[in-house]
Amino acid sequence: MAEATAHAHHGPSPQEQAENIKFGVWLYLASEVIIFSVFITIYAMFRAQNPDTVFHVREELGIALVSFNTFLLLTSSWAMVMGLRAIQAGKQRALMAWIGLTALLGTAFVGLQYVEYTELAHAGVAINNTNASVFAGFGMRFYTPTAFHGAHVIIGVIWALWVVWRAWKGRYSTENYVGVETFGLYWHFVDVVWILLFTLIYLV
Amino acid sequence: MATASLPIRQEPRISAGLPRVGEFMRWSVDHKIIGVQYMVVALSFFFIGGILAMLMRWELLTPDVDFFGDGAVYNSAMTMHGTIMIFLWVIPMIGAMGNYVVPLQIGARDMAFPWLNAFAFWIIPPAGILMLLGWLVGPAEAGWTSYPPLSLLGHDGQLLWAVSLHLLGISSILGAINFIVTILNMRPEGMPLFRMPLLCWAVLATALIIVLATPFLAGALTLLILDMVAGTSFFIAAQGGDVLLWQNVFWFYSHPAVYIMVLPSMGIISEVLSVHSRKPVFGYRMIALSSMSIALVGFTVWAHHMFTSLTPELRIPFMITSMIIAVPTGIKIFSWLATIWGGKIHFTSAMNFALGFLSLFLIGGLTGVIVGSVPVDIHLHDTYFVVSHFHFTLYGGGVMGLFAGVYHWWPKITGRMLNEGLGRWHFWLTFIGFLWTFLPQQIAGMMGMPRRVATYDPSLLIYNQLSSLGAFVLGASALFFFYNLGWSLARGRVAGGNPWRALTLEWATTSPPPPLNFYEDPVPYPNPYGYGSDAAREYLDEQQRRFPAALEAPTDEGSTSASLATQPAGTSAGSSAGTSAGQQQ
Ligand code: HEM
Repeated sequence: MAEATAHAHHGPSPQEQAENIKFGVWLYLASEVIIFSVFITIYAMFRAQNPDTVFHVREELGIALVSFNTFLLLTSSWAMVMGLRAIQAGKQRALMAWIGLTALLGTAFVGLQYVEYTELAHAGVAINNTNASVFAGFGMRFYTPTAFHGAHVIIGVIWALWVVWRAWKGRYSTENYVGVETFGLYWHFVDVVWILLFTLIYLV
Repeated sequence: MATASLPIRQEPRISAGLPRVGEFMRWSVDHKIIGVQYMVVALSFFFIGGILAMLMRWELLTPDVDFFGDGAVYNSAMTMHGTIMIFLWVIPMIGAMGNYVVPLQIGARDMAFPWLNAFAFWIIPPAGILMLLGWLVGPAEAGWTSYPPLSLLGHDGQLLWAVSLHLLGISSILGAINFIVTILNMRPEGMPLFRMPLLCWAVLATALIIVLATPFLAGALTLLILDMVAGTSFFIAAQGGDVLLWQNVFWFYSHPAVYIMVLPSMGIISEVLSVHSRKPVFGYRMIALSSMSIALVGFTVWAHHMFTSLTPELRIPFMITSMIIAVPTGIKIFSWLATIWGGKIHFTSAMNFALGFLSLFLIGGLTGVIVGSVPVDIHLHDTYFVVSHFHFTLYGGGVMGLFAGVYHWWPKITGRMLNEGLGRWHFWLTFIGFLWTFLPQQIAGMMGMPRRVATYDPSLLIYNQLSSLGAFVLGASALFFFYNLGWSLARGRVAGGNPWRALTLEWATTSPPPPLNFYEDPVPYPNPYGYGSDAAREYLDEQQRRFPAALEAPTDEGSTSASLATQPAGTSAGSSAGTSAGQQQ
């Protein structure tokens, strides 16, 4: 986005443009919050009205795997913060290492989610369970928000790799790290959404 | 602090010249090019949507299905007409006006994110084509509201419709983010929020609604698409879904969205009424803040679309919020009236359309209060009264305002004036044709004629024939408009920098402006609507001298090219400025 305003003396200064970009990302995340809240509300209504179904699913599911997965995602957020700290201190290689770790943990998260999906599918939780099934109505309301979240993680991983690549090219410095910051905002957002989903689906 | 005077003794400049046609056909990050791109695409779809309206009114000349041969064809025409008019004409037109005018008005060189701006635009043409391709696979027939289960029973075109709408939603969210950041962060020194032109306020309010409401549509459409392709049943009651869910989420988006469609026009006419009656805006703060409160309250009224389908206990609360939202609108209407009251009104075409907005939108708003009251709506729901009501707001409000904007800013965009005579024809035919079309529909509606059907009871014949005749007049009026645009490009008088002697910043440069908009850092005039003072007159005189329509004493061929020589390269061709006399209003 930034290169198009390269008319340095006319357009906003680099600092101003960094502020603009962050503000823009916040607005973008606001709109994401709303899409997720549609899906989450739909799940919550189902949860309130069909406690039995959810109970059956929980029996199948177990919580160990998903707790570990949540731990991975939280760790990745920590790695991301360390990366941001690194570039603020001017440490290019540390930045690359930390953000690389973020990407790795994100990938692991998606992989384990795949494992979980496979197990659920074996247990018979499908996106279109009929009314006869004990899982009726659960699958679609579960898979949609979690898969939508998973897609966000995948995009986040790609974004992280892009940040690593730009870091390798030396695009970031102690003055200019808005690219890392915006990725960080996004990644934290993805993390927070997961904590919400985890709490709502697995805990309450 | 900001001073009111321009820098002393600058070279007069005529025009930066129009970019070549090719520039408009390819990727560009210049907000002015993008604005024109939006406008051309929107106008094309306005034309298509208008043709569909004519065909529908032709069908409705008789009580039976004859012209379309099959009621389903009528339904698809009706669906496409509604969708195109809203999502491919009015909403892209916000992109057009906002893109071209807003950065200029706040003295910025471009939008905050030029690349994103271009990207948001380029989503629209493919999405529009996708929507039209529905005709090939069996078009959408479920109306622009696409209620399930109807929308889940249809052809593949229904899927294309949903995907296309999803893309259009993404485009407008990205565009809106850009507007918010631009307006809040890129104003120059000397322009605090409460000295910002009212169009910017309106676009800001609109953009906030878009960012916060459109994602609801995106969420609902995602689920609808999943129901169509992935075998889920979010909206299929027989398989554990919920049809009311769609209605709730859809209207949670779409009611705020009707303010998306009218707020920009409100901003436009705030500018036009003040400039063309040479008077300061009355109640500037009230107009600005009422835009914001409309944006807020707009989120609390959605269920008035569902008085007949929701639990009855919820009717009264939503009726109350619906009445409340009439208050900020009323404040605006009275502020506008007070603005032109006692002013030196110039009945330019822009002004005519702004006045048309005032009168027709008033009827739209008042009929809104009528259908907003539960006992009446139980009777009027889904009748032609509603069709009439929303055309009064969308056409009489939204589109009249957009026309006013086009007449007002066209000289800035192209450097040439539109033909006022043709403009008057356009206005009067529109105004008369409009009332002629949509007033009989109110009666038909009150007598119980349901909407969205190709047939009706023969006793309603006269109202429908009247309405159809009016519609053909209305259709013809648009031809004057399109002809006028072409005429202006070919023969229009050279406009000069500031043909309307307006005080906002977009006029403090040549028409069209150079690639980075201004020739030096623009200094806003302290009060954007301070008409009638000596200081304003001096400021405008100086501006007229700097950006004239023609040089006062042309010395052979040399004069125009001399002033053009200082322009950025590649813009001198195509400017035949200096041929016609400078003009006053
Ligand atoms: C030449 C002017 C116009 C005429 C004659 C016209 C006529 C019609 C007719 C006959 C219908 C179908 C009514 C029904 O069967 O229920 C309709 C629906 C509609 N029109 Fe227009 N229209 C015009 C302009 C516009 C404009 C400018 C807009 C929006 C900016 C618009 C928005 C709509 C919408 C949203 C619908 C509802 C579609 C639905 O029920 O799903 N129309 N119009």
